[in-house]
Amino acid sequence: MFSRRTRFLLAILVVASLTFVILDLRGGEGPFASVRAVGANVLGGLERAAATVFSPITGAGSWWSTMRDQSGQITDLTREKQALRSELEQLTNDKARAAALDGLLKVASVGQYRFVPAEVIAIGPVQDFSWTVTIDAGRNDGIEQDMSVINGAGLVGRVLKTTASTSTVVLIVDQGSAVGGRIAGTGEIGIVSGTGSQETLEFELLDPLADVRVGDALVTFGSKGGRPYAPGLPIGQVVEVQGKGGQLTRTAIVAPFADMSQLSIVGVVTKPPREDPRDSVLPALDDLSIVPTPAPLGGADEGAGASDEAVDSEPAATQAPEEETAAVPVEEDEQ
Amino acid sequence: MIWRQALIIGTFILGAVLIELTVLTRLGIPGATPDLVVVTVVAIALAMGPVQGAVAGFSAGVLVDLAPPGDTLVGVNAIVYVAIGFVTGYAVDPRDRTVPVMMGMTGLATGAAVLLISGLDTLLGSDRVDWEQVPELTLSSALYGILLAPALILGVAWVVRKATPEVLVE
Repeated sequence: MFSRRTRFLLAILVVASLTFVILDLRGGEGPFASVRAVGANVLGGLERAAATVFSPITGAGSWWSTMRDQSGQITDLTREKQALRSELEQLTNDKARAAALDGLLKVASVGQYRFVPAEVIAIGPVQDFSWTVTIDAGRNDGIEQDMSVINGAGLVGRVLKTTASTSTVVLIVDQGSAVGGRIAGTGEIGIVSGTGSQETLEFELLDPLADVRVGDALVTFGSKGGRPYAPGLPIGQVVEVQGKGGQLTRTAIVAPFADMSQLSIVGVVTKPPREDPRDSVLPALDDLSIVPTPAPLGGADEGAGASDEAVDSEPAATQAPEEETAAVPVEEDEQ
Repeated sequence: MIWRQALIIGTFILGAVLIELTVLTRLGIPGATPDLVVVTVVAIALAMGPVQGAVAGFSAGVLVDLAPPGDTLVGVNAIVYVAIGFVTGYAVDPRDRTVPVMMGMTGLATGAAVLLISGLDTLLGSDRVDWEQVPELTLSSALYGILLAPALILGVAWVVRKATPEVLVE
């Protein structure tokens, strides 16, 4: 049907693809991992360059979703002259960046986290079903695997892979993501896992009798050494509780504080605070969309066993009394 | 001349991969991300023929899999894109290549890409694929493919005609 050369070439391409699949399925740190690392390094560099070239297009942010509610603003702007308009766009862009950095600084100074700021330069396609993004900071900037990534609103994800100048971040809404979470105030703990949808997380409580209410805020529980998740980072707010008290598994639907569809400036936590900041990083209660119903304090069984690496926890640290945390002097940032 | 063909294929594929990952994914368009890479593979296959289409598909698949933030198995995209490049280059008789037919082919190809990659991932043991979303993603990807097709197919054909007229399928 086809010439011999064609059949030969097709066979080579198919066999090569299959070889890649098989080598990659094996996983681990084989020779293929280094090929992959080299490829990621080169393409990461190219992505950085492309993101710079295309920044006038992408810098305006997610125009598709914001265009509808900006029609009023646009009529105002059309009255202005061309030069003035471009200046204005530049200004709003800078303002948004400044606000994002401001939010980051607030979180970092309240919780005494040390972080490296970075910008999102590429996002994985929706049809990959994996919520991962590339940021423009890598090993050269001190980023290592499993560091927490935050923005001004709260926890965004963790670093999955690094190259010299870029890193891949897996968002907390990814289906494979699991974060140890704690209800602010009561100290009930559980696992917050991604559902694959951008707006919802699932919170599974370890204690089936735990008291959880709509409006409760969640913060990270923290892992040993602050990896993969530093303690005290705001995760989200409970919007729906499923199952009654005493059922074998109790889950709650949680809306993340950070808007995963509008990520631009993020911070990578390179050093968690010496003391767990407890709930101090959470936004003020009247800033939250839902006011929490008061929940009884204490009585929570925090000794529940950790079932996952992500919740590999230090109960002693998280049970430190509030006064002790407050008494810690503000750590000076080394320049 | 083979080097000139390789250069054209490489430039188009690399450009498509970079634009898809850094620009198209962040526009926040509803549904699937417009699959510029598959449309480019189809355009190359239609302009140069099935063999060049398969080669373009292979290189595109490997690049997409290796480029950060990709976290999927390397090789899955490659094998699907090889099939798409070869089949589209082979299936349509050059005399039938009107713009609507080529748009239809592209829509079929981008839709099939979502289905085949989701299917292969599931077969290989990935539990990421959410089959409830697959129909919507397939349809929207096909639609975006159809919309992207005319400009890219005509553009690639124009470049091929200028640079390597000997391979142009007409």
